Amino acid sequence: MATPTVSKSILDSDNIRYDASARTRWRLGFDRVIGWLLPLLFVVAIAPILSLVYYISARAIPSLSWQVITSTSPYQTDAMGVPIIGTFELMLLATSIAVLLGLFGGIATAEFLSERTAGWVRMSANLLVGTPSVIVGYFGYFTFVIFFGWSLSLLAGTITLAFFMTPYVFRTADLAFTSVPSHIREAALGSGARPYQYILRVGTPIAFPQILTGIFLAMAIGVGETAPIVLTTAGGKIPPQTLFSPVSWMSSLIWQNFAQAPSTGLPTIAFQAAFLLLVVVVSLNVVVRIISSRYRRRLEGLYA
Amino acid sequence: MSSPDPSTPEVREPLPASGPEETGSTPQSARSFLARIVPLVPALIPLGIMVAIVIALVAETGFTNFGIEFFSLHWDPVNNQWGIGVFLLGSLITAVPALIFSMLIGLGIAIASTTYLPRFLSQWLDPFVDLLAGIPSVVYGIWAFIIVAPYFGSQLEPWMVMNLHFIPGFGGPINTSGLGILISVFILTLMALPITTLLIRDALRSVPRDLWESGLALGATRWEVVRRVAIPHGRRGIFSAAFLGFGRAFGETVAVAMIIGTATVLPKNVYDIGNTMAAQMFELLDSAIGGTGSPQFLAAIAEMALVLLGISLIVNILGRRLISSLYTQQIQGL
Amino acid sequence: MNEDRATSPPGAPVLSVRGLSVLAKQKKLLDNVSLDFAPSSLTAVIGPSGCGKTTFVRTLNRMVELTPGLRVKGEVQYVGQNIYGAGVNPVLVRRRIGMVFQRPTVFPMSVFENAAFGLRLIHESDDEVDKAVEEALERAGLWSEVKDELNRSALSLSGGQQQRLCIARALAVRPRVLLLDEPTSALDPAATQRVEATMQTLKREIVLVLVTHNVGQAARVSDRVAFLHSGHLIEVGETAEILERPRDPLTQEFITGRFS
Repeated sequence: MATPTVSKSILDSDNIRYDASARTRWRLGFDRVIGWLLPLLFVVAIAPILSLVYYISARAIPSLSWQVITSTSPYQTDAMGVPIIGTFELMLLATSIAVLLGLFGGIATAEFLSERTAGWVRMSANLLVGTPSVIVGYFGYFTFVIFFGWSLSLLAGTITLAFFMTPYVFRTADLAFTSVPSHIREAALGSGARPYQYILRVGTPIAFPQILTGIFLAMAIGVGETAPIVLTTAGGKIPPQTLFSPVSWMSSLIWQNFAQAPSTGLPTIAFQAAFLLLVVVVSLNVVVRIISSRYRRRLEGLYA
Repeated sequence: MSSPDPSTPEVREPLPASGPEETGSTPQSARSFLARIVPLVPALIPLGIMVAIVIALVAETGFTNFGIEFFSLHWDPVNNQWGIGVFLLGSLITAVPALIFSMLIGLGIAIASTTYLPRFLSQWLDPFVDLLAGIPSVVYGIWAFIIVAPYFGSQLEPWMVMNLHFIPGFGGPINTSGLGILISVFILTLMALPITTLLIRDALRSVPRDLWESGLALGATRWEVVRRVAIPHGRRGIFSAAFLGFGRAFGETVAVAMIIGTATVLPKNVYDIGNTMAAQMFELLDSAIGGTGSPQFLAAIAEMALVLLGISLIVNILGRRLISSLYTQQIQGL
Repeated sequence: MNEDRATSPPGAPVLSVRGLSVLAKQKKLLDNVSLDFAPSSLTAVIGPSGCGKTTFVRTLNRMVELTPGLRVKGEVQYVGQNIYGAGVNPVLVRRRIGMVFQRPTVFPMSVFENAAFGLRLIHESDDEVDKAVEEALERAGLWSEVKDELNRSALSLSGGQQQRLCIARALAVRPRVLLLDEPTSALDPAATQRVEATMQTLKREIVLVLVTHNVGQAARVSDRVAFLHSGHLIEVGETAEILERPRDPLTQEFITGRFS
């Protein structure tokens, strides 16, 4: 047997309750303390959310009522009808375009592109996501408002927002189709299915929940965007009549009220808008989580 | 067969664009050529958008050459001075501290979540942190302006000046509005936090279970395994968290515009007002809408945009390269 | 006051298991297992998959508590102290009862730092660390192969070498018990043979507990064999006895065909 040449140290102690070494006692103590301190950091993240939600709700809820939400009268200063309709319309249009572009693009990337090309495409989608929103807004202003001559309008805002949202939907569709288990994909193609048949009949049902959550997430992100819309639309007093009308967007409304009267205090309508935005964003996030967890269970079944 | 693991995407055979060849009236070669090209077009959309943006920006600059003075510290359009140095520095002095704080806090939260908290707790707490990403910038802005800034101005900053004045930059006059660099760093930290936390959490979760257990089996405490095994293993993910978190803080526009005070000179201390590139651009554009500025004015904005975009792209490329997975979970800006 | 002495009767076996049961939500993973381990011996734990052999071995160094939802009943005595007793810290237990896993799990560091990992934690002096690392690598049968390249990344070693490095790493903190959970199942035959040779040497020094699905391996290296089935310890005895003349029909059923 090899004679241990290391001096008799705490290594040779058989006591498993107490370690004579101060060092080890310190290690154990430190681990315990950190185990209590680190979770407290969650407070740093959660407290602001709670504070934010509380204060905004406190200023907004008392004045909210069905009447306020639906009124489109230009004389009522806290009427939310026009911004709500405007936001809704712009969101609808922009989302439709983003879904169209993103779905086709994402599925095409997942299914038809070689790895190399797909790499470039995915990188550009990721870069778009990380691009500051003011740049997208700037692009929208100079391209659609000025160059195309659409002026500050629903159309300019729609296309700009659509460009902003497309990469999110794109990535989701790409990932969803890439995640289709390869044995299922190969089985479908191997039995003679044409590509579009595979995509429609096999891929889409499997990828659907994930794509749906991606769309909701893109909507949650899009509805809160300010810069791209401020720079491409002008607020109107009535809901947009044509594609070239001004449109009132909730985040823009908040910004404009802020910019014009920061010291005299924000009017209630700004808080109402903020509150509604929070409601929309949180609801969408909750829905996304619900769909995600159901989806995960279903996906596991594919591997049975 | 294992569950889908987007971190190592299997290489899949790209589909041939068309099915078995059919005879038809159109010539074979044209038809199959089309069939191959058509699916590629939608895939190139993001690329196309990116290119379009760059082209538009470049076109707007009118190729005006401001020379090296473009980065000087004097911004005075009235006197034909176009130095964006002020704003560039402003972006840096807000984004870098925000990055540091969000990395430290994110690291702590991620470690707590993966190592110390029981599963059922972390399952509930993690989504809260992710929720920080979903809050619209304007809403952050109002909350910061109305609730946080007065607190900063009347309580926190006086306290800091009294007790921390020996640190350079922490002494000096405060402005009681509470707006300025300090509160901007605070808000940017909150906005970068979900990104750093998520990426570090993913990096730690990707450590193979038996590697983790090997560390514990040697008589290491949980902290020691995290520090000496898990974090080195997840280095790449942690670096990507830094890059992408920085990108987020650097590019944030509206919230900063609301609370940084919009100055065109450098702040004298951390309590002073200042401005960042993104916020300044946004303000200039907002006021330029409708009216037209001088061509130099527009060119300056365009070139500012190019600088902003360029830095953002570099940071994002570096950050993305380090992430092994195809895409991460989707939250704003990630 | 020196609290270093273990409080145990002098002749106590190093490791012994008394009435050990592990309960999951719906089923018993281990049912009332009792077993003694003689010092300097190698006990092989065999059985069909799902019989609980990995669970068993993981209770011996309190790794089983890393899996949520399991309850442990009974006692595991290390030098007369119940490792599940009150006030016992698993960190201390795991230093004395080491473990080697199925796949080689070297850390992303140099060979030297891997082996020195446990020693660095307790802040041994550099001299001591050097000596201990050399000794551990020697015992694991790896020293001659790596002694000139200790600063190489451990990931550049072959699978068999990595596994032996994991053994050395575990040995460096001088445990009195080493648990091995199917350590050669990811290795090729040549590497397997080296590891088995290492086990043969080590079993003369410390207690080895080897989980293996390879009955031939059990025959080659072990002194005693314990057969588990559905969480029960069916029989245990000297290797030759169990493998050639098993008493229980379940054991017999398992052995035939796998060992001739």
